[in-house]
Amino acid sequence: MYTLLLSWRYLRTRFIALASIISVTLGVATLIVVNSVMAGFVHEMRHRLHDILSDIEFDAGLGELSWPEHHQACIQEILGADMEASTMIVRVPALMTFDFRGRTMTQQILLIGIDEATYGRVCEIQPYLSNRHKQQLLNFFLEVDGYADKIGECGWGYRREKELLIREHSAWGISAQHQQREQEFAEISARLAGAPVEPVAAAARQMTADPAAMQLPDRVPNLDELAAGQEALSGRPFGDDDLQPFDSRSQYRPQPTADELFDPMRDQHTGIILGMAIANRKVIDQETNEVRDVFLLRPGDDVRVTLPTAGENPAPVAENCTVVDFYQSNMHEYDSTFAFMSLRRLQQLRGMIDPVTGECSVSAIQIRMKPGAHLDRARDKLIAELQPEYWGFVIQTWQDLQRPLLSAVNMELTILNILLFLIIAVAGFGILATFFMIVVEKTKDIGILKSLGATSRGVMSIFLGYGLALGAVGTGVGIAIGLVFVARINQIADGIGWLTGRQVFDPTIYYFSKIPTVVDLPMVVLVGLGAVGIAVAASVLPALRAARMHPVEALRYE
Amino acid sequence: MNSFGRNLRSGERLVASVESDRQHTRAPLRVALPTALRVVDVHKSYRRRGIEVPVLQGVDLHINEGRFTSIVGQSGSGKSTLLHLLGTLDRPDRGEIWCDQQRIDNLPSQQRERLRNRTFGMIFQFYHLLPELTTLENVMVPKMIEHSVWRFWRHKRTIVERATTLLERLGLSHRLHHRPSQLSGGEMQRAAIARSLMSQPSILLADEPTGNLDRQNGQLVMESLLSLCRDEQLTIVMVTHDESIAKQADHRVQLVDGRVACA
Repeated sequence: MYTLLLSWRYLRTRFIALASIISVTLGVATLIVVNSVMAGFVHEMRHRLHDILSDIEFDAGLGELSWPEHHQACIQEILGADMEASTMIVRVPALMTFDFRGRTMTQQILLIGIDEATYGRVCEIQPYLSNRHKQQLLNFFLEVDGYADKIGECGWGYRREKELLIREHSAWGISAQHQQREQEFAEISARLAGAPVEPVAAAARQMTADPAAMQLPDRVPNLDELAAGQEALSGRPFGDDDLQPFDSRSQYRPQPTADELFDPMRDQHTGIILGMAIANRKVIDQETNEVRDVFLLRPGDDVRVTLPTAGENPAPVAENCTVVDFYQSNMHEYDSTFAFMSLRRLQQLRGMIDPVTGECSVSAIQIRMKPGAHLDRARDKLIAELQPEYWGFVIQTWQDLQRPLLSAVNMELTILNILLFLIIAVAGFGILATFFMIVVEKTKDIGILKSLGATSRGVMSIFLGYGLALGAVGTGVGIAIGLVFVARINQIADGIGWLTGRQVFDPTIYYFSKIPTVVDLPMVVLVGLGAVGIAVAASVLPALRAARMHPVEALRYE
Repeated sequence: MNSFGRNLRSGERLVASVESDRQHTRAPLRVALPTALRVVDVHKSYRRRGIEVPVLQGVDLHINEGRFTSIVGQSGSGKSTLLHLLGTLDRPDRGEIWCDQQRIDNLPSQQRERLRNRTFGMIFQFYHLLPELTTLENVMVPKMIEHSVWRFWRHKRTIVERATTLLERLGLSHRLHHRPSQLSGGEMQRAAIARSLMSQPSILLADEPTGNLDRQNGQLVMESLLSLCRDEQLTIVMVTHDESIAKQADHRVQLVDGRVACA
């Protein structure tokens, strides 16, 4: 009883020891904050990695996988009821070129052909699309509306307006060029004839060099003329109806045949969904210090994709595509390289369809397991049955695919935890020193207690109990501070940013708008127990010293 | 053996004795009293910086049950050491100490701790109260040591009542919840006496209980002790260097150079 009473009284009256426990408090708070933020990042990352990678992938390795339906059936048979769904994909590296303000830009992409009907059941792609219609139903048609606000002008309306502008400008360009050519021809003719150069030619040169001084040529067609031209070409009147939004999902508009002229006002090329980071650059506004999106491409723009054909002699094929949507998983690695296209169209382009039998080949089969299914066991079962190494195939879970990244993150987390625990260990030495001083200060009390019949074990437990109480108080306060910090981390980061003038959390780097946090209860308990354990361990030596004190010497101590 | 405690439980006799001890007259010495403590040829020396300093060099002593014995001697004569040996706070180098037909100098520490808690009550020159606890808590410490937490809580009401009664008897009812730093020297020593009586000991060992008090307070403490001895038949062994105090005891033992000079 006296041990509890004295421990409690020492805790209330010896504030110097509370000061020594502040380092434990700080260590615990830091550990909780760091672990929660790291866990938040890891959780977000794993979530996104998992969503795009499916559970298990049957990869054809470097070649192609023929008879994919047969393989799919085999996999279904082997996995049985544990399998939820599977889908086929074609993956090929490709080059994408597009015009931006008159400059041709080239970007390397990883083109993925996906089956609109089944892909969404295996991998989570729809939640990461910008268009809300496509989030409901995956397809490769340009939409009229439903795009995220931050993209700005896009969709069919944007495509049509842009086309009209291009026509207007190209009409200008042709007339100006033509006029210049005529002038040059006149100059050369005059020189050949020995006649002096007419001043008209110089004026014309000046006119073309200075667009501001350039007057609109007579032959610039106005919109009515353009409409008339369209009418003549398409054989039907061009009216306001054509500018009305139409539901592109209601009917599939096939690629125009040779005799049907492709009209960007009305038609789209092969639909392609681009990773957000391919088309988007995040820049920090120098004046407002806010992150601004700059789009090189928008849904409705056309791009040209060049990719190698499959088979023995790969040859480049080029395909005009229309950007129909953006994919934003917030994993920069994916967002900056992935582009999705219809599986069927990609197979056609690459020549993966047998012209005689109509059989298709694919790059990989992705498998989704039922919730709770053991992925590693399923993978081992597939490997045992299908012998993939014989054919050069690879069967991997999503964790196998991202093992280097995941293990690097885990390693980082472990080392960080060790280092931070060292802070608490240092705090332990502080407690040790303070406790030795308290034991010296309390020498006489120890003598008194022993003269009253207290056992050595009892005296020892006073100081161990004191250490435990200090540890518990320090840890409790540390946990409270840590949890409040985690709950308010974004505001705190903003506050620190405002104070220091530097942004603590840069969304342009992480592609998170906020710092993600996950508070793991077992982690909090473990950190708490560890800190209390260190405080108690630090009080063992002083407590032993107190217990071993000779009562007479302790009573005589001055 | 626990006659004092049993009497105290009735709660009347001590108060009567404390109040009446100012007019007390010394009772005549009884003959052939049973021995409470027996010291046989006890030697004790301390080592200081490698040099052995002999303190007790063959002490033989009988302390009668229910009597007040004072041990006097000059500083360094070994009187405090002898008291510590009697109270099992230390072990003699040689010789034997007997208490109630039981040899106590060679007991294992567990039994010695038990003796200190239940059989001996100790008071010191500098009171030795625990500064973090109130007067009442200080008095209850022996019971806290004796009982487990569970047992203490079960008997808490009885223990608090007993400690309060003891403090009231010693005139400290207004100081129950004060810290030792808020008490005067005499009050602290009386609180220490109450603490030493808490476990109903059969022998009270006092190490210069009046040494740090003025004459008036010292006399007050002495009277408390004398009445305890007289009315409760408590065996008291007191170490002092004040002859006037020593004279009030039933027996006077003088130590000179670690030996009993006269008893």
